[in-house]
Amino acid sequence: MARPEAKLKELKPAELKHEVGARSDLVVTINRRSERRLIAYGEEFLYEKLPVGTRVIYPPPPLEELPDPDQAIRYALLHPENADPLFAQLNPNMRVTIAIDDISLPLPQMRAPDIRERVLNQMLQTLADYGVDDVHIIIATALHRRMTEAEIRRVVGERAFKQFWPDRLYNFDGENRAEITMLGKTDHGEEVWLSKRAAESDLLLYVNINLVPMDGGHKSVAVGLAPYQSLRHHHNPATLRDSHSYMDPKHSGLHRSANRMGAIVNDNLNVFTVESAVNTRMYGPMMDFLHKNEDRFSGWDRTRTDAFRWTMRNLSNELRRSVLHGYRAPYGMTGVWAGDTDAVHDKALAKVFQQYAVPVKGQSDILIVGVPFICPYNVNSIMNPILVQCTGMGYLFNMYRGKPLVRPGGTMIICHPLRDEFHPEHHPSYIEFFHRCLAETTDSVRLEKEFEREFAHNPTYTHMYRYGHAYHGVHPFYMWYWGEPARQHVGRVIAAGCEQPEVAARLGWDSADTLDEAIAMATSDLGRSASITYLHLPPLVIADVE
Amino acid sequence: MSVLPSKTSRGARGKSRAGMAFYDLDGTLCALNLVHSTLFILANLGEWSSRVGHLLSFAARTPRLYFAERKDRRLLNEVLFESYQGISADRLLALGEEYCERVLLKHLYPRAVEVLDANRGAGLEPVLVTGAPDFIANPLARHLGVNHVAANRLLMSRGRATGRIAPPVMAAEEKAAWCVEFAAEHNLSLAACWGYADSYYDLPFLAALGHPIAVNPDRKLRAAARGRQWPILNFDHSRDTYSGATPDGARALEISGETIDGAS
Repeated sequence: MARPEAKLKELKPAELKHEVGARSDLVVTINRRSERRLIAYGEEFLYEKLPVGTRVIYPPPPLEELPDPDQAIRYALLHPENADPLFAQLNPNMRVTIAIDDISLPLPQMRAPDIRERVLNQMLQTLADYGVDDVHIIIATALHRRMTEAEIRRVVGERAFKQFWPDRLYNFDGENRAEITMLGKTDHGEEVWLSKRAAESDLLLYVNINLVPMDGGHKSVAVGLAPYQSLRHHHNPATLRDSHSYMDPKHSGLHRSANRMGAIVNDNLNVFTVESAVNTRMYGPMMDFLHKNEDRFSGWDRTRTDAFRWTMRNLSNELRRSVLHGYRAPYGMTGVWAGDTDAVHDKALAKVFQQYAVPVKGQSDILIVGVPFICPYNVNSIMNPILVQCTGMGYLFNMYRGKPLVRPGGTMIICHPLRDEFHPEHHPSYIEFFHRCLAETTDSVRLEKEFEREFAHNPTYTHMYRYGHAYHGVHPFYMWYWGEPARQHVGRVIAAGCEQPEVAARLGWDSADTLDEAIAMATSDLGRSASITYLHLPPLVIADVE
Repeated sequence: MSVLPSKTSRGARGKSRAGMAFYDLDGTLCALNLVHSTLFILANLGEWSSRVGHLLSFAARTPRLYFAERKDRRLLNEVLFESYQGISADRLLALGEEYCERVLLKHLYPRAVEVLDANRGAGLEPVLVTGAPDFIANPLARHLGVNHVAANRLLMSRGRATGRIAPPVMAAEEKAAWCVEFAAEHNLSLAACWGYADSYYDLPFLAALGHPIAVNPDRKLRAAARGRQWPILNFDHSRDTYSGATPDGARALEISGETIDGAS
C-alpha cells in the first residue's frame, strides 16, 4: 500500500472533490486488537480504549512545504492574481495601510520567522524602494483582545517593529469613534464599517494566514478591521444557524454576509490581499507521535506518550499552561498568493482543502471530540467554559463539508475537564456572561435580545477592550452563538471527564466522569448498536461527509 | 460619614434604577493615598511653628502607621487622622479645596474618569466611597459631578479637629455595611451595582456588590480577584492628565446614533 503522503502529492489543488477511498487509511475502524487512542483533554491528553467499531478520523499528513518561502512571497507579489504587481501600484505620495491577522492565527503560534514577518519584510522593502513613506501597520483584531507589545514584536519581526512601533504599528480599536468610518450598506441592509485609516488609504494590503478554510477572503478585511456595528450583522444566531458549515464558505451564511460586506469594501478601496496556507505540521520531531495512528506506535512513541502525559499531569496549572502556550509550531508554508481578494482566496482555499480534507462515508450517532488547550481566543490565556463550548460545538462540530459527522439528534461527547476558570483581564465579560446570562437562559436568541447590547456597550468592558487586553464585552455572546448550528443539530452533549458537573449543566450539557461513562450514557439513549466516530485531533482535519 | 444629598437622587427616587457604581478614591480613581493628602495638609498649615509641630508629630506616628497599615485599614485611618488634631475646621476646608485643585485633580487617572462618566451615561450613577476625609472628598465629588459621597469625617470640638473619626469609619467591613444601608435607602439592588477598588482591605466592599472590579489591585487583592473571578482593570497615566469632567460621558462611546445605554 502506498504511503498517504504519496497519495497527497497526486491531489492537485483543483481536485477538491476527491474519490472516496483516496485517503481511506486516514479513517480507521477500531477492533479488539486496536491500541488505545490519544484524545485531547484540555491541557492534558486522555489515552483511552474506544469501543469496537468506532470510526477514527485522522488528519492527513503534512503537505510538502515550499522550499524557499521568501522566494515564493516575492513571486506572489510580482505575479499577483487579477491585479497589477505591488510595485506597479505604488507612488511616493500615496498612503498605504498594511493589515495583518492577529494572534488568533495560526494555532499554536508558529516558530519564527512568522509568515507575517516574511511578507511584511518584503512589502516594506518594496514600499521603501518606491519611496512610499506614509505607511501604517494595523493588527486586525476586530473585537479580539489587543496584542501585547511582545506578541506584536514576535509576529511582525524586529525590522517592522523597530521601524513602526508604536506610532505606525498598532492594534485596531473598534471602539474609537475617531478611527472608524461607515462605507455603506449591503443590499441586505448590513452596515459596513471599517478602520478609517484603512478606508482613507490609497492602497490597503492585507497579510493573512489560512489555518482553516473559514479564514481569509473577505473575512480578513471586512471582519478583521470592523467594529461591533458591522460584526453584529453576521455574528448572530440567525446567520450562524444558516452556516453549514463554517469550514465550507460556499454554504456558510457567515461567509455570504462577509462577502457582501467585502464587496462594498473592495468597491471603495484598493485592496491587495496576500494569503498563505500552512501544512498540518503542528508538532516537531519530539512530539510528532501526536500526528500518528496509535496502532503504528513504536516503543519510542509509547515512551514519549507516557512521558508527555506524566509531565503534563504533574506540572502545576500555571507552569503547564506556560509550557503549552510557549510551544511554537513548526508549520511549513504550503502556498502564498497575492492580488484580488476573491481570486487569491480561491487558490488558498483549494490548498487548504487539499491539506485537510478526508472523505468519510456517512454520519454517525455519536461524535467524540477532544477539546485541546488552545483555541483562537485563549492564546497565552485560559480556556474557559464558554471557549470550550465554542471550540467543541463551534469549531470541531463544523469540521465538515457536506453533512455533519454526527446525525441530526445524535450525541456529541466533548472531552474536557471543564473547570469554572476564567482569565480576569482577558475575558472579563465572559465571567458575567457565564454566571449571570447563562443562569437565565442558554437560548441564543433570548441572549441576543435581552443581554447583547448591554454587554456590547458596557463602559467597563469597553475600557478593558480599548486600553487593557480584554476581549470586547460582546465577545462571549459571539462565542456562544458560534455553537448555535451544533445546538440546533445534536440531541445531546455530554462533557466527558468533567470535573465540575455544575459547569456542564450551566452550558446545558450532561456530564460524565470518564469517557467510558459518557459513551455508556450516549448508547443508553441511542442503543448499543449506535455508531461512533472519533475526530482525532491535533492537528486538524475536515471531513468530507457523503 | 457625609452623604451629600442630591437633586438627582431625589428626582430619581420614583423610577427604577439601572444600578449605581461605587468608587473607592485612593489608588482607584487617582494615584495618591491618604498619607500623601495628610502630609500636604500638615505641610501647608498657616504658621510655620504649627507646621513643624504637626509634621514632627506625624513623624513620631510613622511606626504606628506602618504597623496599623499592615494590620487593619480602620486602625490606619484612626492613627492617620490623629495628625489633624488641633487644626481648625475652616482651615481644613480651605486646604481640602486647595489639595483637590492643586494635586488631586492632576493625579486622577484620565481613563478612570472616562469610565465614571461613561457609566453615568449608561445609567450607573456614581457614588464615592472613600477613607479620605470629607474635606478632600467633597470638593473632588463636586468637580466630578458625583452627588453621593461617603467619606470619613473628623469629630470637631469648638471649631477644631479632635483627631478622632466620627463613626462609621469608612474602611473594610464598614464600607460594605454603608453600601448595603445606602442601597436599602435608595431602593437599589446591590446585584445591579458596580464597585471599583484597589486594596485587599476593600474586599468586603467589593464582595457586597454584584459587579466588583479590582482596579490596579495590590498583590493580595489580585489573588483574591483571580480566585473570585472578578475582572481586573488597570488605569495608568499613559494619556494626558485629566483636564476636566466630560459634560456627557455617554458621548465618548456614542457611535452612529447609538448610545451606551443601548437606546437607539
